[in-house]
Amino acid sequence: MARGVAVLLGTKKGVYVFRSGAARERWRLEGPYFPGQPVYHVAFDPRDGRSLFAGVNMTWGGPRVEISRDLGKTWKPGKNPAFPTGDERRFSRTWHIEAGHAKEPDVMWVGTEPASLFKSTDRGETWEPVRALNDHPDSKKWEPGGGGLGLHSIGVDAADPKAMTIGISSGGVYETTDGGKAWTRMNYGLGSPVPVEADGDLTCVHHVVASPSVAGARFQQAHTGAYFKDMGEKKWTSVTKGLPTDYGFASAIHPRDPKTAYLFPLEFPMRMSPAATGAGVWRTRDRGKSWKKLTNGLPRGANYEVMREGLATDRLDPAGVYFGTTNGEIWGSADEGRTWALIAQHLPPILSVETATL
Amino acid sequence: MGTVTVKLHGAFSEFAGGARSATVEATDIAGALAGLVVRYPSLAERLRDEHGKMREHVNIFANEEEMRYLDGERTALRDGDIVHIVPAVSGGEV
Repeated sequence: MARGVAVLLGTKKGVYVFRSGAARERWRLEGPYFPGQPVYHVAFDPRDGRSLFAGVNMTWGGPRVEISRDLGKTWKPGKNPAFPTGDERRFSRTWHIEAGHAKEPDVMWVGTEPASLFKSTDRGETWEPVRALNDHPDSKKWEPGGGGLGLHSIGVDAADPKAMTIGISSGGVYETTDGGKAWTRMNYGLGSPVPVEADGDLTCVHHVVASPSVAGARFQQAHTGAYFKDMGEKKWTSVTKGLPTDYGFASAIHPRDPKTAYLFPLEFPMRMSPAATGAGVWRTRDRGKSWKKLTNGLPRGANYEVMREGLATDRLDPAGVYFGTTNGEIWGSADEGRTWALIAQHLPPILSVETATL
Repeated sequence: MGTVTVKLHGAFSEFAGGARSATVEATDIAGALAGLVVRYPSLAERLRDEHGKMREHVNIFANEEEMRYLDGERTALRDGDIVHIVPAVSGGEV
């Protein structure tokens, strides 16, 4: 039985951790850690239940991945991901950190800028480039999106430790079924309705997630809409109909039901809440056939921007849902989005939201 | 080979666990930095990227002169010289 939840925030000015019991009613702040330093992502390792990882993208001293083995009490930097000698690329930012499959308890993954994937087999202490992806023939055609050229999404399959899905802006989705030795572009169904290439054209995906409980289930918010894909499918299914816009960055999937997912739509190109509907989390319970706007408890008229990592679910039952805004507010729902409560405000701009179910 | 003091300022002191200075044997700035990193390995990746290139936003002074206006990392040092590693302060986003 879970004792509670920690909501892990990467912000423009450090890491903030909010802890609560299983009821998720009262929250206690821990941190900030690395005050003043931009943190793109904070990850939790559910396999050991105590490791945290923070992608600190500091101007002074360059980017680094900080590791805590005691849920944030103490931190130390791991060795940086590094491109091989002779490679013109250099590690310049961390975008996403992901724990490996439960069957591989020492494996961690990190997505970087320029868009590349690195693997650790020692729980994040050292990293090796995944060259089959980093040197993929497409890599020369990947172009920076508005935030840079980042590998921002890493989804480890629920069942198969060798199956993974990653997302790159701009490039798209790539999948492996052999632990990273070979990667296939998986953009069919995204972007252009008439792709030139059989596996879909290069495109801008914003945030791709894998179901933590159902093999093969994937969900994403792309520049061009929202999409689902299930095991064995070679094409993404557009589920944008019923949403106020086809644009946004954040996406999250339910911890047990892969047909339930969450989005925070924005208006293009201003990255603002849609004028017609206002701010809100949108939820589907039927794999995108229908969407419901969830605003009970949210302020009317608020104009929130939520970044690509700014929406997350926990693993309790009922699932908690959380979103963080660029004006420094973190909101939570302990009932799968039905009602919302403010966890904290007046924080630095929130860049990422993750959860640790403890 | 002379005895040189390397002083760490701001964030670079934090990256070395709070150390403010180190004494190393060196004939030039490159040697002083190499000696510093031996003493404080945590500074290696904070000063240079994976290809050995000095990171941006690092100012290094030999005594009172910034090394860019001298001979860069090949700037010669003498016994008693002081090398300062200072985080560059510049710019703003908006």
